[in-house]
Amino acid sequence: MTVHNLYIFDRNGSCLHYSEWNRKKQAGISKEEEFKLMYGMLFSIRSFISKMSPLDMKDGFLAFQTSRYKLHYYETPTGIKLVLNTDLGVPNCRDTLQQIYSTLYVEYIVKNPLCVLGESLQSDLFSSKLDSFIRALPFFSVRAA
Amino acid sequence: MEDGRMRVKCNFSGDQKFLENGRCVSKLESMGFRVGQGLIERFTKDTPRFKDELDVMKFICKDFWTSVFKKQIDNLRTNHQGIYVLQDNKFRLLTHLSAGKQYLEHAPKFLAFTCGLVRGALSNLGVKSIVTAEVSVMPACKFQVMIQKM
Repeated sequence: MTVHNLYIFDRNGSCLHYSEWNRKKQAGISKEEEFKLMYGMLFSIRSFISKMSPLDMKDGFLAFQTSRYKLHYYETPTGIKLVLNTDLGVPNCRDTLQQIYSTLYVEYIVKNPLCVLGESLQSDLFSSKLDSFIRALPFFSVRAA
Repeated sequence: MEDGRMRVKCNFSGDQKFLENGRCVSKLESMGFRVGQGLIERFTKDTPRFKDELDVMKFICKDFWTSVFKKQIDNLRTNHQGIYVLQDNKFRLLTHLSAGKQYLEHAPKFLAFTCGLVRGALSNLGVKSIVTAEVSVMPACKFQVMIQKM
């Protein structure tokens, strides 16, 4: 069980943060293109499910999975989107993503007067705390299952 | 016009920015001074008089720091000739900023108010001083208090 990578987007589609822990295969395109691709996909899926949902929507888009990985999604009311790619053994990650937002993003980015919101995140403290948080997760191990 | 000055370790490109920053820092320090004066009146409302200067400094390090920052000063050093160094290893205004050297040049802005706070508190306890701050590795920082003999 492992975590592959994490993206954080703001409401305008710019990628604020990206880190990877266990990514075996790259996308074959540049990082900017990859972020645009990811954001475009999220935007389309969200609009798709809200239109096509047969019942009233509660939480909206939670996750999708393929035969090799699972993509978890969490969006805050302010438009910050967190995307986590893990392998298949991991259960619903919504709480984890919510925790990343409240205990890491809000604490070390929002509360830091020197961090300009909307620009890519520069704080070393945030990166190191995020790294230790991910490594401490119960479903993180260095080798993929 | 207050006598105390705030010595600041910072480097900026451009004189304009430097002057502007210096003005802001002194302004913050004088605001802190006024707040410190008020706070110390409230905190020492019911306490007996202090025996000597060292007693005053210990009060600042323990009760005053706890009321304002919810923790005590970690280390107090003195040369017994009017210089005191207060060391806080986890200064609350810096903990969420960085854990090392990043943003070091911006740290003085966040220490100016606290320097004024200490100077104001001491002033109303009858101790005239100059308070400066220095930070090398965040979130630890040192406040240096130089007592001015009247």
